[in-house]
Amino acid sequence: MNKVFNLLISSIKCQVPKKLHTSAFLLAWTKSRLPKRFLEHNKTIFPPQQIGEERRLAYVCHQVTNIKYSLDKLWYIACLVRGMTVDEAVKQLSFLNKKGAAYVKDAILEAQELAVKQHNVEFKSNLWIAQSFTGHGRVIKGVRRHARGRMGEVRYQYCHYFVRLEEGSPPKDYYKRNLLTPSQQLDNWMEQMRKRKITNSI
Amino acid sequence: MSTSFLTKVGVLRLIPVSGYVQASRTTTSKHFNPKFKKLRAQKYMKLDLPNFNEDINQLPKEKIRQKMKERGLLPPRPWVERPFYISATGGVFEAYVPPEGDGKASIVSATRAKQTVQLLEKKSKSMLAIRKIKSFEEEFDSKQFPSFAQDVYVKAHESLVNGDKMALRQYVTEKAYPEFRHNSHMKTIHWKFLDSLEPPRVVHARCTDIISKDNIFGQVTVRFHTRQQLAVYDRFGRLIHGSEILAKDVLEYVVFEKHLSNLYGVWRIHDKIIPDWMPPKEPSRLTRVKPEPEPEPEPEPETVPAITDNKESQVIADK
Repeated sequence: MNKVFNLLISSIKCQVPKKLHTSAFLLAWTKSRLPKRFLEHNKTIFPPQQIGEERRLAYVCHQVTNIKYSLDKLWYIACLVRGMTVDEAVKQLSFLNKKGAAYVKDAILEAQELAVKQHNVEFKSNLWIAQSFTGHGRVIKGVRRHARGRMGEVRYQYCHYFVRLEEGSPPKDYYKRNLLTPSQQLDNWMEQMRKRKITNSI
Repeated sequence: MSTSFLTKVGVLRLIPVSGYVQASRTTTSKHFNPKFKKLRAQKYMKLDLPNFNEDINQLPKEKIRQKMKERGLLPPRPWVERPFYISATGGVFEAYVPPEGDGKASIVSATRAKQTVQLLEKKSKSMLAIRKIKSFEEEFDSKQFPSFAQDVYVKAHESLVNGDKMALRQYVTEKAYPEFRHNSHMKTIHWKFLDSLEPPRVVHARCTDIISKDNIFGQVTVRFHTRQQLAVYDRFGRLIHGSEILAKDVLEYVVFEKHLSNLYGVWRIHDKIIPDWMPPKEPSRLTRVKPEPEPEPEPEPETVPAITDNKESQVIADK
């Protein structure tokens, strides 16, 4: 009797998991985790301009999601490109010996094409990088074995790259550092020296 | 010996090397003994990292099949059903041919004379069609209809300008809907109906049955000669077509359609008749760089003497 019972149980165990599709349920209706807000800027409609008003400059936002690269490493490349014209940025990136440079370059070229095709930009060289930054992507966690039966977590990180191209030529001082010429610096120093108060003097 | 060799190498290291030298690392985090490299690698659990940017459409069929099998997914069922909705016809039947130079005062012309004769022939058909429409819709009056049509015409355009899709459906048939909305996405449209230069009038009417004899559609063409104002702005508010201050004379032949056998059918805009003598369109204000013409593929030089001969002889041998 026991034997028969055991057989039955084993047969059930074998059959059930084969017949049930479990993974398909999990895959269907999964929510997209991609960033959405940045691309919403492409949908804003500006009010019509009056006659004689200065022509409003076009812009385009673009993103590349889930790049298998470090967010921190990509950030340096994103910073490098800021405030450059598109042509200059592409030139610089093609000589940058980093894996992330290729991703950024591709993203900028894609955005440039979008600008010409969809956002009424006439000349593709007449664009500059107004915004360029990175974002956290998906993180897949792995396991690493440690001594004494302990575990360690390994984080396989992905990152996003966002770029906004604007029509026109870039500003002279993108970071607003207000760099002074040597003569201006000297003048400032002289002024400062003359203004100082010498104690116990007339 | 060994010491002397080492000293020699040491001296060599100090010699300045001219030209490009690849940067070498002096410090390294690598373990000095590669013997345990494999064992250290085994400490990490093996993981297949997903490629989130993989384009499934680019993959070969076998690869897709393999991936679906791995995940236990069933192939999607082919969707064979095609939904369609018959409350409008797909075109204009026996379209009205507008007389040449209409709207301008030039009645004397050879083509114009010929067209007037043809018009008289067609008028009887229009009368029959109107009689048929009246059998379904008792209040129909070809004198009253144009003013009603003009109201529909104005409302359709206004709902397009306001971006009111639901309202637009009431004034426009399923066929005309995409034509109305074409190129209006992300644009600001300013449109004004100023006044009629000539009172609108019915110029043409036709009836057709579709599928069964009782399923009848009526089409009425109305001629509008009006003054309108149009200005189209793109997403950034720059003017791309028309003008805010200029009014233009517009001559249009608009086809209205109604599903007569449908109790709840309404007269809606169906199409616009564009005559061949229409003056060419105003060029777009948007300018763009002309794409370079694709280089024509060079004709390959005919240098296939020996191989083709061999093939031919093989074919003959096979036969």
